Amino acid sequence: MPFVKHNVHSPATEEGHREEALASPIAALCSLDAETRWSAARTLGGRAKAVPALADALSKEQVPHVQEAIITALMRIGDEASVMVLLPYLRSQDASQRSAVIEALQALPGAVLPFMVSLLADPDSDVRILATELTRSLPEGDSTRLLCELLQREQHSNVCAAAVDVLAEVGTREALPTLRSCAERFAGTPFLPFAVSVAIARISGTES
Amino acid sequence: MAGLEDEGIGPTHLTQEEVRRVCEFLYRRTGMVFADSRRYYIDRRVAERIAVTQSGSFRSYFAILRSDANHEIEHLVNAFTVNETYFNREEHQLRCMTSDLLGNIVRVKDRTEAIRIWSIPCSTGEEPYSIAMWLMEHWSEVDSYNIEIVASDIDTRALQVGAEGIYSERALMRLSKDVIGRYFEALPGSRYQIHPGLIDSVQFTHANLIDSLDMARYRSFDIIFCRNVLIYFDDSSRRIAAENLYDCLRPGGYICLGHSESMSRISSLFRVCSFSEAIIYQRPEADHGAK
Repeated sequence: MPFVKHNVHSPATEEGHREEALASPIAALCSLDAETRWSAARTLGGRAKAVPALADALSKEQVPHVQEAIITALMRIGDEASVMVLLPYLRSQDASQRSAVIEALQALPGAVLPFMVSLLADPDSDVRILATELTRSLPEGDSTRLLCELLQREQHSNVCAAAVDVLAEVGTREALPTLRSCAERFAGTPFLPFAVSVAIARISGTES
Repeated sequence: MAGLEDEGIGPTHLTQEEVRRVCEFLYRRTGMVFADSRRYYIDRRVAERIAVTQSGSFRSYFAILRSDANHEIEHLVNAFTVNETYFNREEHQLRCMTSDLLGNIVRVKDRTEAIRIWSIPCSTGEEPYSIAMWLMEHWSEVDSYNIEIVASDIDTRALQVGAEGIYSERALMRLSKDVIGRYFEALPGSRYQIHPGLIDSVQFTHANLIDSLDMARYRSFDIIFCRNVLIYFDDSSRRIAAENLYDCLRPGGYICLGHSESMSRISSLFRVCSFSEAIIYQRPEADHGAK
């Protein structure tokens, strides 16, 4: 048979090579070679002291897969400082970068929660829409409260629709009065009362 | 469900909206799609899980599911899926390997360099052995190259079964009599021992997809078969696993996922390649050394 076997290296050996190749992973974040920057970002995942360097690297990085690795590294650190680095990228013009940041932030519900009130009140409606998506990974009580507060003041129908969509999954009975009120306010925007009716049915169906 | 009722655990029936809530959650989380026509099936499976987890109500159970407490997503998905594995289970991907992937791979590969194929998770070995047999049966250039097949799993008991290479008749249900005759020896009790030469063709190793240090042992694969595992991971684990897999592939290498999985839902690291037999993901060639 034409099949061959080679020994799979021990982790220590391979990691030794990686560390050797990246004597200073933080310095390697500035390498001219994208694969070196990728490896540096991968190595720095979970190292809280690397947050400033990763933040600087993310602000300059142009290669998409290296951006992804930096975002994942910040996600693996997962503290308030790393969340603060990621939040501004919700305004990125690059859809894939926004998606990567949303995904990373969704993985950090505890660290994101303190920022949710201001995100849901952001002057930019696109940021508010993305922020509603972040509430999906929060405990249902927190997400219901935050989204109801948003719905009570929100004027933008698309933001309301995004909030209603999340409530349909995570909302509790406490959201029902706010949802009904939202449907009345946006009675002239047919899709929103329909979305509200679905959310109410889901929540009522769950809790009846 | 009848069993549970016999045990005195009352059934919990879901409302239509609760079924839809579960279906939407599972779709967003795993990519699995369930039609409305399967409502009764879903109802029963979720009711079973409510009983097993002693949640008492759909609401309590859904909170457990959303937080993935005690890997509940995995338990529920397992309740929905047929967990048995067998030889040539995803034959269309094997066909794609020999009709498209290998041709592209050998076009840029030196003949002295081994073609490296990785099955992870390999479970009890049916997939890596299927790959080996398929290559022997369906790839005319099989004797022109050295081929390395690595089979990895996090479950050492499964690896042990794979290395022993003894399977039930049921696992062979997709194989022709000719193929069974060439690669298996019948044992008492409707069991079959895989050919020693084939066992010797596959290297079984322990590996954890989300452990970057562990995964650093695996590099330069041309094809990775990674089916039906990413759907069980949460968002952060999926990101880490996708980056680990990227590192394990050589530039231009391919990754085959399960039919309900989509790498584009997980990561933008890979390029979607649509072949006649299957949709496969590729680590872009151009990324190597990109500035």
